[in-house]
Amino acid sequence: MIDYTIMYKGELPVESEWPQGLRWDVFISAYTAADRVRHVYDKVVAGSKHWLVFPEYGFPPGKSPAGAFVGSAREEAEYVKAFWENSIGDVGTRTISIDITGFIRPYLIFLLRWLAERGVRRFDALYTEPDRYANREQTVFSDEVVTEVRQVAGFEGTHNPDTSNDYLIIGAGYDDRLIAQVAEDKKFCKKIQIFGLPSLRADMYQQNVLRAHRAEESVGRETGDPSSSYFAPANDPFVTASTLREIVSRVSSGKPITNLYLSPLATKPQVLGFAIYYLTERRNSATSLIFPFCEAYNQETTKGVSRIWRYTVEVPSI
Amino acid sequence: MKDMMPNPFNITKAVDFSDQEINDYWVDIPSGHGFAAMTKPTSPMPMLILGGKGSGKTHLMRYFSYPLQRIRHGQDAIRGIQNDRYIGIYLRCSGLNAGRFKNKGQSEEMWADVFAYYMELWLSQLVLNTVLSAVGGTSDLAKNEPAITAELSKLIDADKGTAPTKLSDLNGLLRELQQKLDGAINNSSIIGSLSARIAVTRGDLIFGIPKLLGTKLSPFRDCLFLYLIDEFENLSESQQKYVNTLVRERRSPCSFKIGARMYGVRTFSTYSADEENKEGSEFEVLRLDTLLRENKEYGRFARRLIGKRLAESDRIQATTVAIDSLAEALDKCFEEPEKSKFSKSETDFLIEKYNGRERPYFKDLRKDLERGIKAKSAPGLHGPGDIEKILKLLSCLEFPLLEKANILLFYQDWRSKRNLLEAARAIAGERKHYQDGTGESRRYKEGLLHFRADLLAQLYRDTHHRQRFVGLSTFIEMSSGLPKNLLVLLKHIYAWATFHGEKPFGGSPISIRSQQAGVLEASEWFHHDAQLIGRDGRFVMDSIERLGTLYRGIRFSRKPSECSCSTFSADLSRCSTDAVRILKLAENWSLIIEVGGQRDRNTERIDAKFQINPMLAPQWDLSIYRRGAVALTPEEVNAVFDPEHSTEFKSLADKRIERMMPPFFGRRAPTQSDIGRDGILNLFTEEDHD
Repeated sequence: MIDYTIMYKGELPVESEWPQGLRWDVFISAYTAADRVRHVYDKVVAGSKHWLVFPEYGFPPGKSPAGAFVGSAREEAEYVKAFWENSIGDVGTRTISIDITGFIRPYLIFLLRWLAERGVRRFDALYTEPDRYANREQTVFSDEVVTEVRQVAGFEGTHNPDTSNDYLIIGAGYDDRLIAQVAEDKKFCKKIQIFGLPSLRADMYQQNVLRAHRAEESVGRETGDPSSSYFAPANDPFVTASTLREIVSRVSSGKPITNLYLSPLATKPQVLGFAIYYLTERRNSATSLIFPFCEAYNQETTKGVSRIWRYTVEVPSI
Repeated sequence: MKDMMPNPFNITKAVDFSDQEINDYWVDIPSGHGFAAMTKPTSPMPMLILGGKGSGKTHLMRYFSYPLQRIRHGQDAIRGIQNDRYIGIYLRCSGLNAGRFKNKGQSEEMWADVFAYYMELWLSQLVLNTVLSAVGGTSDLAKNEPAITAELSKLIDADKGTAPTKLSDLNGLLRELQQKLDGAINNSSIIGSLSARIAVTRGDLIFGIPKLLGTKLSPFRDCLFLYLIDEFENLSESQQKYVNTLVRERRSPCSFKIGARMYGVRTFSTYSADEENKEGSEFEVLRLDTLLRENKEYGRFARRLIGKRLAESDRIQATTVAIDSLAEALDKCFEEPEKSKFSKSETDFLIEKYNGRERPYFKDLRKDLERGIKAKSAPGLHGPGDIEKILKLLSCLEFPLLEKANILLFYQDWRSKRNLLEAARAIAGERKHYQDGTGESRRYKEGLLHFRADLLAQLYRDTHHRQRFVGLSTFIEMSSGLPKNLLVLLKHIYAWATFHGEKPFGGSPISIRSQQAGVLEASEWFHHDAQLIGRDGRFVMDSIERLGTLYRGIRFSRKPSECSCSTFSADLSRCSTDAVRILKLAENWSLIIEVGGQRDRNTERIDAKFQINPMLAPQWDLSIYRRGAVALTPEEVNAVFDPEHSTEFKSLADKRIERMMPPFFGRRAPTQSDIGRDGILNLFTEEDHD
């Protein structure tokens, strides 16, 4: 069984030069109004650099960077496939780096599946931590208008008509309404939440719990209930994947899980961890990755640049 | 040391209960033959069970499912099923993950066919699993299984490898076909095409399995196979159309109970030549929360529900008798204000707080009178001396409630252009008669009877006190037929009582402050929870915000036009399409409740009438009861509910509330020509439309 934690995770300097020789053939980043996204885009050395502009951010025509891929499809699979056919093509042996910081979660999740389908076996993911969220625990990330809760394309799994021991594992972020929507959609599931601890900044865990508490009635458990609350570092996809494995192993040791739903609503590294875990261990099982899809997301929700992480992701073969 | 007993109201949703707990916590309605008579599990007529969130649909449907039948009948489940004359097969639509059957470059027709096939495979597995659980290992099955399996296998047009001889093998084959389909659906977003071969004709297994089993296996002879399809709202329109088709083309010995939220039915159309299923013809409807709300026994049912929770948490053997006696004693577990003459005990705090100071409502009245005199709109008053006389006449130091009643009647007289000094004298007399119980004081008595709760609410507000939503009857009323609301209220009240060091249900009554804190928290949850998916959700919530604001404005105006204002009536046929659409959404989400019709005062037309859900009342300090209904104009309804007209809300609401505020009561300010030679205002000629 793969040990996720041996995958490479390292820090890159925020201001000073990055190591010589650190370059990729292809660099992909999602465009937002945040400085931390542009900062990394400028620092990266790559054969080709690609901005993705997601329709949910609502950038008006002419406000996107020159040469950016501005897709109109709101379906993650359609968008990513169109970008790939338009801008990348056959990836061959080219090295790839993806800044996951500005990505809207379902696009990032599907992209991982797409890379696996295209035979990519390894890529570097970059993530920039903010100094703080713009309005601390009151920060609004999406417009909170959820259009539907559904499975992410390529992460739909198989399904078991026996639903007597279904589980939903939520990566609990700041968007308590999203937590509530997912929990309501899968209301018959037993629910477990993973909180980001250590959090990105010292005060963020407390803010995270405060927000998650608001969704308590939908989740059906008291926030902090030890039997349904787990923790994984907010900036570590690999420990997140390991934590998911541990949770699933623990809860299925008694009665087997009938259907498992994963919903990563927290930080992008944790989202990456959910997707890695799914593709590595749960792809052909009664497991799916679900998400509350919103109409719009705020273009900027953070202040400052704190740390830049580089994760080398080993992509499972499909 | 705090009482560490777990909160007995922690679980508020049936989905969080195990089958055993569903059985243990079951409480029947104490009227007629209970829920079974309403749900009619042996009736071949399909039924749509509609209810708001928390109305108990899932609890009810699971109660009639096979796992619960098995628990109820213990060792002899087969005989139990024979006696029941039905076997319940429970399906949660959310488990189908119906959202994946769309887009991915495929046509809608293609997805409709794939979904129908998927449902066939899914329901067939559920029915076979249920049957195997019921009769697995019996000699009856052993004798007939090969023949049944062979017969059913003929209905599946797929490579079966070795022909299955057991039902479990057949079930395995169905599972395999379903998983292949899962894979094809999953891959279609990657490869852009969907390769699915449909191996079963619509309805062949869903109806064919029960028919064959009913013929071949004795326990299922004369037994109805009851498909309990819950969470119907999770299906799209075309998917519901397919289920509707099954209902329409139903074959014996099968029937359906379909559970849905009130907003959850998107269509009644079918794939049978696009015919629509009709209530009374193809199905009947059980409207669960309306039924509970309007049931005279709801209060008893609610008390039993609480009694059961308490009994279970104390591990008391919960016989019906024990529950009923516990239920009867529940009201005493909640502290309520002491009953006293003219609510003295509830208002004594004010006497103390304003000892030697002018009470806040008299301050307001003084200002109103000063404005009135200045604007020459205070009939019969000429200066500060008159104001002092009026304040003195309306004062009743010992009973603040009577002072409020005096002031209300005074404002009513002011609006009716009476001489204010004379009016104050008359009111003082009426008050004295009423207080002493001497003479005629009908107007006074009725005013107080109708407006008592509003006057107390105003008193609390005037003195910056929290409104009192206390007492078990209040909580039952607030729950409006939705048991979950009651449980959430009690959950928060219990938590606050424990936090305050009380021993709820085990010592002194739960304090008023714990009740107040719990109610407020539960109300906030209801408000926060009532989010809909999509843009309309915001429109609905904004509308409710406006409606609550309007009601609050009326309730706390100087001269409310209606008592216990929480209801409006309107002629919806004259309102905009969007206003009616959003209003209906709000109703379907139980944010407002239709409460019959009201005859319009001017036209005799019967208008629809809606009450704001009493769970929301604490958000705007409204009454949980309904007495008067405000007749809203179409323009006002549009301003409240139609997003296109929402900018007009403030001016329309202000205009309405101005009619309840001195000195002009909604009329124009007087000009010189309106003043008579005696200096008295002469402008009260406009129609009163309140």
